[in-house]
Amino acid sequence: MSGSWPEARVDDLTRFRVLASGVSGARVVERRINAPFEQVWALVSDIEGSFGDIEPDMRGVTVVRREGDRVEAIARSRFGMRARLRGTVRPGWCWLQSRFLIIGIAAVPDGKGGTVVAMTGGVRVPGRAALVPIGVERAARRSLARLAAACG
Amino acid sequence: MTTDPALAALVRAAQGGDTVAMNELLDRLAPFVSRICGPIALGQGADAAQEALIAVFTSLRGLRKPEAVYGWVRQIAVREAVRVARQDRRAVPDELSELPAPGDPQLGTDIADVLARLSPEHRAILMLRDRDGMDERSAAAILGVTTGTAKSRLHRARQYFRKEWNA
Repeated sequence: MSGSWPEARVDDLTRFRVLASGVSGARVVERRINAPFEQVWALVSDIEGSFGDIEPDMRGVTVVRREGDRVEAIARSRFGMRARLRGTVRPGWCWLQSRFLIIGIAAVPDGKGGTVVAMTGGVRVPGRAALVPIGVERAARRSLARLAAACG
Repeated sequence: MTTDPALAALVRAAQGGDTVAMNELLDRLAPFVSRICGPIALGQGADAAQEALIAVFTSLRGLRKPEAVYGWVRQIAVREAVRVARQDRRAVPDELSELPAPGDPQLGTDIADVLARLSPEHRAILMLRDRDGMDERSAAAILGVTTGTAKSRLHRARQYFRKEWNA
């Protein structure tokens, strides 16, 4: 009795909501962007380039290690602070953390030529699965608006 | 599955607030939870899996034995899947329908259709005992019922399934 038992479908948006649920203070903001997944994700996954346009607090991001979908990067905030980010970047999924930051982005095609993108993140309570709960949702909305604008 | 030291270390890191470890743990647990929630919650499987995984990640710090994470997750997923399936009354038949016995060669492509004729509780016991090979006592503990209840549910599920299949 195996092989044909039904399995539940857990897409990246679902996984994203789950992961964010484990981060105290996190807020997930979702938005449909009227552009194909490939176009949207090309902008998100360009860590050293257009990623900085979406997350303007991040400047001069440099990837220092990439192994499969594991990524380590050094980023500078606009206030000059350095962050060593590590995590996973793969099609439809980006989850990075440093001691003081968490950045999460997930995207799935909506089946109608558009893409649903979810974002979360902000200032991390050092070493904990928690965000400082100030302006978290607003920041995610702004990032999504920038991404939508970049997609034309 | 319960004695992997690397997995236990991953759980401890996740419990300690490392969100990258949480991400990696989610990669491991999501397919496991999908396989549990699918047969029990059927059309509501995705909702059940999300609810179960949220329950797991919001209560992860309370898990005292990281090496037993799969057993802990299984119990949460089974109960959540039954709860979600119960909420969707269309998915809960008043009467049991029928299932074939384990190993029955006729069991194949239409198992989802046959499962849909069972109650969520019967789907759960059938999955735990016949697909996952779990013993009676363990399956009963996961479902929160006595071994007698688990035994009678399984008996009825198998009996109805076989009868229907051969009709």
